[in-house]
Amino acid sequence: MAFQESTRVKSTEEIAHNTFQVFLEAPLIASVVKPGQFVNILPDKEWDMPMRRPMSVSGVSGSDVGVIFKAVGPGTHLMRDWKIGSEVDLLGPLGNSWNVTGETPILIGGGVGIAPTWFLHNELDRRDIDHYLIMGARTANEHFIGHSPDKKRIMCSDDGTFGISGNVIAGLDTIRGEMDLTLAKLFVCGPAPMMETVREVAVRENIECEIALETVMACGFGICQGCTMEYVANGDTNDTYRKKFGLVCMDGPVFKAHEIKTCYL
Amino acid sequence: MLTVKLGNTEFDTPILVASGTYGYGNEVEGLADVSQLGGIITKSVTRLPREGNPPPRITETPAGMLNSIGLANLGVEAYCKEKIPFLNALGTKIIINVAGSTMSDYIETFEILEEHGGNHVGYEINISCPNVKEGGMEFGVSPKMTEKLTKELRKRTDRLLIMKLSPNVTRIQDIGLASEVGGADAVSAINTVVGMGIDVKKRAVQLHTVYGGLSGPAIKPIALACVHKLSKVMSIPIIGLGGIRTAEDVLEFILAGADLVQLGTINYKHPDRGITICEELVMFCKKNGFSSILELKGQLNK
Repeated sequence: MAFQESTRVKSTEEIAHNTFQVFLEAPLIASVVKPGQFVNILPDKEWDMPMRRPMSVSGVSGSDVGVIFKAVGPGTHLMRDWKIGSEVDLLGPLGNSWNVTGETPILIGGGVGIAPTWFLHNELDRRDIDHYLIMGARTANEHFIGHSPDKKRIMCSDDGTFGISGNVIAGLDTIRGEMDLTLAKLFVCGPAPMMETVREVAVRENIECEIALETVMACGFGICQGCTMEYVANGDTNDTYRKKFGLVCMDGPVFKAHEIKTCYL
Repeated sequence: MLTVKLGNTEFDTPILVASGTYGYGNEVEGLADVSQLGGIITKSVTRLPREGNPPPRITETPAGMLNSIGLANLGVEAYCKEKIPFLNALGTKIIINVAGSTMSDYIETFEILEEHGGNHVGYEINISCPNVKEGGMEFGVSPKMTEKLTKELRKRTDRLLIMKLSPNVTRIQDIGLASEVGGADAVSAINTVVGMGIDVKKRAVQLHTVYGGLSGPAIKPIALACVHKLSKVMSIPIIGLGGIRTAEDVLEFILAGADLVQLGTINYKHPDRGITICEELVMFCKKNGFSSILELKGQLNK
């Protein structure tokens, strides 16, 4: 069950270049939200675009809920300018969550997709579950934690300015010597090309993998039916409902890699 | 103060929520007290289940959104089994929206619903979906076909029969009058306006189906004009919709000649907006000394 919660900004911080983490006081949502779930945000009371802005939750601190975003459009620019105490209307928590099973978790995040992986990373730390964290970015100033392979924190940058040179697959390859990836489970969220690349590796090598998809959404709770993804080969018939096309908000955002036809939505 | 009648059915308020913008009523659980709405018009149901259109299905525009969902729904048989028992218990009036592509589609779906029963008060017939080839537009653009379909459905139910009209026609009044002659209790106006979005960077269209239906504030003036034109020629009530966001928008539609209204796109952002609008309308009536909101109906100064 989701709530509409009137919240206040508790803290706001630029954690990396043009990347912000904001915590909002949202006791109802904070009490039930799980890593992988998202909230749908009204950036401002006067916001007159027709859609809220859906964002994955990046963590919970007491009764506060965090989100991470890059300021790229009118909604996120308003969010960047939030002050401590600003009122923000949230719907949430929405969607499903990651399923941590017996395998060793390898968390892979990139771009703003770092939010749900960061939440899961902190949750696994809290539960003392050993895991890897791989973060990808274009360049050094987009990273916000240290590269420390000995602590299983592997940072990758496309231009080689920080950590491993290359994308998150280059980071994943550095683990291959340490463990058999078929005994691992990947948890992935990031830009579509990154997720699609990891999905292909996971399917090809038969690695357990869950991907949190991102797409445009109007409502976030199943009424607009706009945020569709396509399942792999569930028959050619159109005489079914939500077997060929799933809803990212209701059936996801977390899907098993092998059931997703493509991460490009 | 807000009570309105359609046929023999009394609605507590004139605020309904539009088909396809409130799911099946259960999705908003915890987000809105639906018992305070005039009623819910459920997502279009068709004879067979439908997957709908491939992604992308929606895109935002400066004052609205384009959608091309393609009547994705679970089909009438599953609808009767899985949705009607829940809808019966919701505590608000339910109107079931029915879509089809052929006369027999509509009739079969209708007969299955009538045979199954339930306490829904009526049906809204979608003859105006712009997003599927077989979305009933063949009916929605033809007065003759509209009248024929309305007559066939009229024979089969004593519940409210409402025809949902498209603005994508030359003269909406002709389709409205055909619905009236066919025996409809009311018409809903308007469905979405055909539109298109282009992404310059990708040199690509924004919706998989190229064209979609535009909704939201962008279409309110179009909807008001349609309601006004219909009200000049028709004697059955008009349910107005298209871009309503505020109580003032509702009053505009009533002034244009509507008896009831539907909220659509705004529900995505504010699922409880229908309820807050009702509160504002009560305050408006009290402040202005109206015993019924419908005292305003069509009362535009010359």
